[in-house]
Amino acid sequence: MPTTTGTGTGTGTSTTGILHRLASDDQDVKLKALRELKNQIIGNRTKKLSFLKLGAVPAVAAILADAVSADDVINDNNYDNKNNDHNYSVNKNIIVQSAAVLGSFACGFDAGVQAVLEAGAFPNLSRLLSNLDDKVVGAGARSLKMIYQSKFAPKYDFLEEKNVEFLLSLLNNGNENVNGLGASIITHSCKTSLEQKILFDAGVLKKLTSLLKGSLSQRDASLESLATIFKNNPEVVLKFVGPDSGRALGSIIELVKDRFIRTRLLASSCLIVIRNTSPCYLQDVGIKAKLINTLLELLDDPGQIGEEASFAFSSLITQKEDMQKLAFELNAIDKLYNHLQKGSLHPRRFEGILLALADMCSKLECCRARFLSLQVLNLVIDALAHESADVRTAACICLRSVSRSIKNLSAGYFMNETVVIPLVQLLNDPSTSVQVAALGAISNIVVDLTTRRSTFIRCGGVKQLVQLSKSMDATIRLNALWALRNLMFLAENKCKEGVFSELTAPLLASLICDPESFVQEQALALVRNLIDGCIDSVEYMFAEDGVIFDAVGRQLQSASKAEIGIQGMYVLSNVATGKEFHKEAVINQLLPHADNGTQSCIIKFLQSNDSRLRTAAVWAIVNLTCSSPGAFSRRVKLRDTGIVSQMKEMVNDPCLDVKLRVRTALGQFTTFEDGSI
Amino acid sequence: MPVRVVDNSAPSQVSGANSGNTSPPACSLLSVGQAFSGTQNVSNLQKEEAWRVNVRIQGCDLEHGYLCGTMEALNVPMADTPVSVIFFSQQQLNCVYPFHPILSESPCKLISHLIVFNDVQVVTFWEGEIVDTKNYTFYTGKWEAAPEDDIRHWTKFQSFSPLLNQVEVDGGKSLDLSNYHHIFMRWKEQYFVNVGTDCGLTIAGFYYVCFSCSDGSINGFYYDPNSRYFFAAISDSKFWLSNCLFFEIVCQ
Repeated sequence: MPTTTGTGTGTGTSTTGILHRLASDDQDVKLKALRELKNQIIGNRTKKLSFLKLGAVPAVAAILADAVSADDVINDNNYDNKNNDHNYSVNKNIIVQSAAVLGSFACGFDAGVQAVLEAGAFPNLSRLLSNLDDKVVGAGARSLKMIYQSKFAPKYDFLEEKNVEFLLSLLNNGNENVNGLGASIITHSCKTSLEQKILFDAGVLKKLTSLLKGSLSQRDASLESLATIFKNNPEVVLKFVGPDSGRALGSIIELVKDRFIRTRLLASSCLIVIRNTSPCYLQDVGIKAKLINTLLELLDDPGQIGEEASFAFSSLITQKEDMQKLAFELNAIDKLYNHLQKGSLHPRRFEGILLALADMCSKLECCRARFLSLQVLNLVIDALAHESADVRTAACICLRSVSRSIKNLSAGYFMNETVVIPLVQLLNDPSTSVQVAALGAISNIVVDLTTRRSTFIRCGGVKQLVQLSKSMDATIRLNALWALRNLMFLAENKCKEGVFSELTAPLLASLICDPESFVQEQALALVRNLIDGCIDSVEYMFAEDGVIFDAVGRQLQSASKAEIGIQGMYVLSNVATGKEFHKEAVINQLLPHADNGTQSCIIKFLQSNDSRLRTAAVWAIVNLTCSSPGAFSRRVKLRDTGIVSQMKEMVNDPCLDVKLRVRTALGQFTTFEDGSI
Repeated sequence: MPVRVVDNSAPSQVSGANSGNTSPPACSLLSVGQAFSGTQNVSNLQKEEAWRVNVRIQGCDLEHGYLCGTMEALNVPMADTPVSVIFFSQQQLNCVYPFHPILSESPCKLISHLIVFNDVQVVTFWEGEIVDTKNYTFYTGKWEAAPEDDIRHWTKFQSFSPLLNQVEVDGGKSLDLSNYHHIFMRWKEQYFVNVGTDCGLTIAGFYYVCFSCSDGSINGFYYDPNSRYFFAAISDSKFWLSNCLFFEIVCQ
């Protein structure tokens, strides 16, 4: 009976004993050791790691190399009676067993794949495919297939014609392991639309379709490869779903009901890829419901299929309101919740279910209401403290989705310490993706419309956000500012004071001038929300010698995209609601270059193709020219800059909002002209 | 200098060939953060009263014809009437807004209910359906509102007149409202934000609302089929389009 641990004596079945016997000169001993090694590591990750550390992979790779060379010599000498020769037979078995051991090391174990590749076994395994013995060919194909299932496998170059021919020969081979290898190569290496087209043109799709009628492994391999060739390539999908291949599509649909769960998952995934690539196909509600139900049923599988089913479910419903609605009607939220309730989930399964719930709640209010009524929120909050970073990220994404509801935010469901404290803690997480996801959730949750923002401030949230707004990572800066911007929305003065004193005018000014335009936009939007009409809030703009106000002006002059102009113009519109001094500052900011012949930015914005920018620009003019002591001189300045002439050209603007606002602004100028006569 | 203004505000019927957007246009006056305030005039046959009301738009999703926000009634008086009419004027709102007392009990009891809220504010959260011919038509189809109730209320808005004939045919499904100067909505209060449901007020009904894109004024009529006393009236409101503030939230 084999033992699993212990120090070897050189003859036993212990770890070192097996390694010792692998080095034996006696071919029979070597063969036996290979078999024992294979049996010990199959499906046992711990054993694989243990043998890996002891250098088993290079040893087996060397055995394979020697055996392949010996086989070549025998074949080269055209030895007639080789099939009856014991040594020849043992050598063949050594080839088969060593290939199997290497394949086993590579199976689902990236470190094993790396070790096999580093040991130089790949070329020798490839050579086995041209061996005359079917058993050898099968063993080589199986091992290579394991390697190609890892991201560490070498890229197969489909641009080389001979490689495509070789691939076709693999798919046409009578050996199903060889077919499986061909399919794995496609799944691993076909990434670009050009590669997809090359494979389609070479007739690979036809071959894969025929394999759908083959054995279980052929079907599964074919489904996976088909999905790879379809992915994001509507041209190939169109040709596949077209009149000639309609039957093939029907076969895939049938396989969604297959008795094998892996086949059901792969067939579902293949159909999802077709749907996501070409949304016009598979619109039949029966098929959509079948896919949803199948994937929800597959969640019950305790193994890898169950784990992957939730990710496939997410890809089926993400960004698709119709699918989310249908899934809701099929009780998806309840079913996902039931799995979540089981507790002690494998991190991958936990992550998948949280992301599926996040997708379900991303658009529809009915889903969010069900989520809250089932009290899924408590389980998601617990997941924020999970040891796996992927689970923590998924929990934040789920919270972000549910908290998109203004109705629920207004009811104050999220702004409490149970939610806020763990989220704020995640802002210090060592993983950047957790930090970004936590910022996303916080961005929504701070839109608390029940004036309970103090909870967030008390938990140290503002300090953390300000700290992260200085991050070297632009995505973190963006999301931290996004949260601060939403926090400022209709906030009480005390809250604004607190944020401003933490943020400081120089930092805000530097963020407005950030190298990244999306950060600039958020910083401007933050300032826009900061100014709420009371004079104190307008004064923020002029703190520290007007460093923020100047930064806004600089960005408007050099606005690289419409969004910057829109946010900047609304900042100035809000400032223009202040006192005369503030209005004068705005007009001087808008018309600084009028004297030296440079076109004013506001004229440029009024002429923009983006109606949102035109609207924002007209609003600034409305606020500057409405009745007030200094309005007359501002109207004169604006008229002299050509603003009135420009607006007169806009009275029939194609955008109704612009047209109506222009009428209001011109009305204010008309009043002024009438008065001046 | 006066210029000729082309007014294309008349609604058109969608032809079979028109596959473009027929929904009402985006309007910066009806965007997130916009606040409206004014006076609510409460009237019945005996007397008139008034209290201040603030409305804030807090969410807007034109693609789904969705709008939401809060209504805040300040200094709620000892109203003994079930009907009220409000004007909003600080920025641009003019709305008929009955903050509707519970009517299942006698008027005397009603007074005692409302005394509790004298000099306090009552805030409700509401959700709105924008009549965009895509997500929602002029026919409510719920909240106990039959098509004839809908027509009866919509016709109280002068700006609805050009639409009447088509609405009677198909609820307005085939109308092109993309260039129309008014936006029609239904606002339904969902819950009380700062008081309990036992506050003596009801939010069982909903409002037919008409918003003017030109001046930002809003008119509205409350409808509650279980109200025996309800009537409403519209008055002009004074408004001025100046010193408008613009805030924005974007949920991730």
